[in-house]
Amino acid sequence: MTRFREPCIYLASVVIALAISCASCPSIAEEQGVSATGITIGGMGALTGPTAFIGTPGRDGMMLAINEINDKGGICGRKLTLQFEHASSPAESLAAVKKLTEQDKVFVVVLASGSTGAAAAADYVRTNGIPTYNLYGSTPIIREPFAKNVFHGAIVPVEVAARDLIAMFYDDGGNPQKFGILAGTYAFPQATLTAVEAYLKEKKADYVVERFDQSARDFTSQLVSLSRQKVDSVLILGSFSEAGFAVKQAREIGMSNVRWVLDGSAVSKAIIPILGNADGLRGYFNVPYFPGQTASMREFEERLKTLIGSMPQGRPNNYDMIAYGSVFVIAQAIQATGCDLSWPKLISAWENLKDAGPTKMGGLDVTFSESYTPTDHQGNYRLGAAIVRNGEWQVYRVLDKP
Amino acid sequence: MLVELGLVLIAGLKFGAIYALAALGLVVVHKATKTVNFAHGAFAMLGAFASFLIVVQWEWPYWTAYLLIPITIGAVAALLEFVILRPLRRADMFTVVIATVFLGIALGEAFRLTYNTELLAVPGMFAGSPFVYWGVIITQETLWVIAGALVTAVGCVIVFRYGKLGRGMRAMAASVRGAQICGYSVDQVYMVAWCLGGALAGLAGVFVAPIAGVSVELSIAVITAGFVAGVLGGFDSLKGAILGGLLLGVIESLAAAYISSAMKNCVSFFLLFFVLMWRPEGLFPEKVARRV
Amino acid sequence: MFKRFAFGGVAPFVAVLLCTVLGLALENYLKYVIAIALVSMLIGVALVVLVGLARCITLASGAVMAIGAYTSTLLMTRVGIPYLIGLVCAAATGALAGWLIALPGTRFRGHNLAMVTLVFQAVAIILLREAKWLTGGAEGIHVPQPVIFGWRVANDADFLLLIGLLSAVAILLLSILVRGPFGKNLQAASGNEIAAEAFGISVPAYLRAAFVISSMAVGFSGALAAPRIRILDPESFGVLPSIFMLAYPIVGGMQSVWGGLLGGGGLRILPEFLRPVADFQELFFASLVIAVVMFFPGGMVELLRRSTGRLFSRTNKQLAGEAPPLPAIIPAEPIAHVAPTMPANSSEVLLRVEGIDRHFGALHAVNAASITVPVGGIHGLIGPNGAGKTSLFNIISGFLEAEQGDIDFAGTSLLDRPARDRIALGITRTFQHVAVFGQLSCLENVIIGRGRNAVVDSIKQSFDHFVGGRAAEAAIREALAALDAVGLADQASKPASSLSLGNQRRLELARAIVSNPRLILLDEPVSGLASDEVEELRQLLSRTSAERQIAMLVVEHNIPFVAKLCRTLSVMGSGAIVAEGNPKEVITRPGVRQLYFGEQTAA
Repeated sequence: MTRFREPCIYLASVVIALAISCASCPSIAEEQGVSATGITIGGMGALTGPTAFIGTPGRDGMMLAINEINDKGGICGRKLTLQFEHASSPAESLAAVKKLTEQDKVFVVVLASGSTGAAAAADYVRTNGIPTYNLYGSTPIIREPFAKNVFHGAIVPVEVAARDLIAMFYDDGGNPQKFGILAGTYAFPQATLTAVEAYLKEKKADYVVERFDQSARDFTSQLVSLSRQKVDSVLILGSFSEAGFAVKQAREIGMSNVRWVLDGSAVSKAIIPILGNADGLRGYFNVPYFPGQTASMREFEERLKTLIGSMPQGRPNNYDMIAYGSVFVIAQAIQATGCDLSWPKLISAWENLKDAGPTKMGGLDVTFSESYTPTDHQGNYRLGAAIVRNGEWQVYRVLDKP
Repeated sequence: MLVELGLVLIAGLKFGAIYALAALGLVVVHKATKTVNFAHGAFAMLGAFASFLIVVQWEWPYWTAYLLIPITIGAVAALLEFVILRPLRRADMFTVVIATVFLGIALGEAFRLTYNTELLAVPGMFAGSPFVYWGVIITQETLWVIAGALVTAVGCVIVFRYGKLGRGMRAMAASVRGAQICGYSVDQVYMVAWCLGGALAGLAGVFVAPIAGVSVELSIAVITAGFVAGVLGGFDSLKGAILGGLLLGVIESLAAAYISSAMKNCVSFFLLFFVLMWRPEGLFPEKVARRV
Repeated sequence: MFKRFAFGGVAPFVAVLLCTVLGLALENYLKYVIAIALVSMLIGVALVVLVGLARCITLASGAVMAIGAYTSTLLMTRVGIPYLIGLVCAAATGALAGWLIALPGTRFRGHNLAMVTLVFQAVAIILLREAKWLTGGAEGIHVPQPVIFGWRVANDADFLLLIGLLSAVAILLLSILVRGPFGKNLQAASGNEIAAEAFGISVPAYLRAAFVISSMAVGFSGALAAPRIRILDPESFGVLPSIFMLAYPIVGGMQSVWGGLLGGGGLRILPEFLRPVADFQELFFASLVIAVVMFFPGGMVELLRRSTGRLFSRTNKQLAGEAPPLPAIIPAEPIAHVAPTMPANSSEVLLRVEGIDRHFGALHAVNAASITVPVGGIHGLIGPNGAGKTSLFNIISGFLEAEQGDIDFAGTSLLDRPARDRIALGITRTFQHVAVFGQLSCLENVIIGRGRNAVVDSIKQSFDHFVGGRAAEAAIREALAALDAVGLADQASKPASSLSLGNQRRLELARAIVSNPRLILLDEPVSGLASDEVEELRQLLSRTSAERQIAMLVVEHNIPFVAKLCRTLSVMGSGAIVAEGNPKEVITRPGVRQLYFGEQTAA
């Protein structure tokens, strides 16, 4: 009988430990996260694991902006604080947002996670009304059904991205005859693929599709097939690792005279060393300038370096800038409530924001400004068309809503 | 059409050679210690990372990477065997599996903490113009990988078969007590086996770094491919590991080209399944004396 | 009678309910965490059955969980089937998945089995991902809120209650199986295949059952967790999550239900405690797992035992096996035997082996061998090494096939019958290398010896055992009587592996006699024993044969032992029976002496 008494005690103590480790609190309130001196912003994203390159810049960018705003005196006489929770799978994302909302009791939730995580979280926040800001998720399942408390920031819906990606094939005298699409089989590229295929069918364009698994490194078979079908324009929907090796191998098998356009997640400094010479590659970028392209971008990089110590390869990437800009949008929404801090007021102020962004509050010009309406919670529809010139990415024009 | 086939086969052989080297290291450790080291892929990743440091960060000559890295990773592997695996020598087989799996995860995370990036690029050793045979383009790098990895693998097999070390390992695998009576030390043999396995993994990492980049995914890809190739070849057969690796690489490439690029893994796994059903001892097993 | 089950089997069930109740008193976020942890506990217990008891490695838990989750969700969204039925269907598809894996899987062990499960895992996830029209593909699908008889399960308390109750019931059912004859037989099957088969345990059938039952529970838990996760996507059930689930039983403790609970719940909750070090979370997690398995090979259960063993005055001496409490009184009288009383020297033939032939390649291992054993008689079989005794013995006991000849046992032919059929016919055996089931207690070993060990029977017996039914009581009584007959009654609850060699041989004998067989086949029963133990065992065998009217066929090298014990003797040489008859007479024959010592007949 002593035999099972021990595990019983263990189980009971675990449960009691959980109880002790946090105080029992009443249910969530509409003014939670706001005190006389502070406003708490909650963030969620992957800090470890394969999607850490999304969540870590999310947190760092937000911290940078929060520090700047606090240095200038904060908002409504209060300082902003960030409560960031790690989450790398949909289940973890849901748990993280639940914790932020119900236990940490933040005022606003920012989703700095990839698409499947954001989808799980969005499903949850729709039911409890906390103002939620989706930074990076682009799949339709996050945006539908429409919810009054969910806002979407710099990253555009896949339909918009699809259109702009195809547009880049026509830039600078491009004349695509046959499209090839190389798409990853995981969530985000698949969602974009659906939109791209719909758009190409509408335009009655000739195209073929080849696919690859996440983190694949050998694309010879797919490229050989594309080459056989005489494509002259290839769209790659995947990460920079995948795109980089795909282009490298394409060159190795003699595929020349092909215009390459990359999806936004592949447009990163880190793709250049994979290829050596990456000139001519195009892709879209979610902010108006590439790091290093303007003075404010260089300043941003400096400030980020000061904040995080060293600059890992490939940073800053677009997730850094988007996160930075998002905090300013939230700050302006808060200001626009007239410092009457409650969820309904915040939501209605947010829905009527126009041209919100860092520059309005003394921040760096590193993102597209965002505008909302009560029926359209997508803040930004613009993308930067980028190309590699002389070994560096540059945004050469801005693609906007037609 | 044939040119296409040639390109696909070459790509298959390129990765197949890496798989062969990876599987070889795995089988060497298993032959001597009867355990599968699921951290093997992480050792390859560390080897690739070390290659990045040597070639890109410190800009030493490339050949130093090929020389120093197997030695270093072999030493790291031997150290880990001493610290973690020795206490587990009497433990359940499942416990050892979990220990090595999580060791691999820990090593991957440790790497990510030092260099929080999705991928680190490493240039190839040879960057000259590619060779063209009958319309099939082969880059110098590809040729180097295929030739280098295979030569190393075959050399290793020869050493194992005829060297004293190899004999000791095989004896240990057949009977620990018997080998001890003959004067072989369990500690020594196990440590050497892990060292050799680690060295092979590290070397595989150096070969694969330019063609796949350094990332945590590399660790998972190498152990999966190495394991599958090992089973395909007959898990205790060194020759089988090499042939299994090459076969796996070629089949994956062919499946992606001619069946379906999205279901590539599906196809190769199905094939494996049939091999297992038809010849569970593997396609190229070493001869085992039948016990009457 | 009900006192017995109240503790052992029900404790995990009560513990789960306790967690649920305590969780209901905490805040919402913790309710959520505990609900997810409870599902993981169920998975942990399910995997204890497969990984711990059946010793089958599986990398397919993720896929099975996905199958369950998608089944119930798709049935709800596309067909409008209510959640409860969806749960049942999820259990069914989970079971089907387990059966599919087991079809090839039971043929393999070790890394080949890992490969088979890996194939299933990868293929299942790829198919789920590619069937976009059905499953929504890589982007995933919403899971709707369940409605049960009009009760909309929406908030955290509702979910915790639902998950708590259902997982508690599932864990109870699994506990009953684990602790009862099913679990014991399963451990026997995976621990010592040959001995298990000899006593009617079909190893492939049990392994298959383990896969089916375990996968049923894992599929069920997938459906249970789905509404909490809200979005299902195939990647969440990939290889990495499968490996994490594999860790549940291994880190928790592989042999018991508690191991599953602690491993599953503990590993699921651990990330919550690691939130403050989020950047290093996975590193800490991996390091902790390594540390636990390194220092406590028995898992968290062992960790607990060792640490709380000092808190409680009575240290727990028992190892993994959990023996049921014994009835207070051991019956004094021996069990009435089934066979009609016959004089010891009956001439009626019980076992007739005729003209058995067997080759191994070019070697003629058994050459037209014939042996007869009378009812109640003791017949010896001797011969030098390599004479073919073991081969003949294995043919008689069903572990080797004969090429020619016949074996007749009281009118039934034994040819082409698998070894596991022997016990039902009344034939049991012992082994040259002692083959007791080490992790099981002596009592459990002997209970297996009673036979009636088909999968379905053992499942029924497990439930009977749980409620302390009459059949279970009878089993224990008979087993104790058998142990008493061989002088091991006081060792009944000790694990078999802790016995000395001599005592293990006695245990084997107890196991062989408890079913009141008509014939026991003994393979070198005194090999490795000291001379006084040899004499003790000889007396025991003699007595047992006489008291219970059991015939014996004894293969041995120890000639004096054989001479004293056996009434008739066969001598084998080079595969053929070269002499037969009364032991004293046979041994002195010149041909026999030449066989053994190479003596020249003509001096």
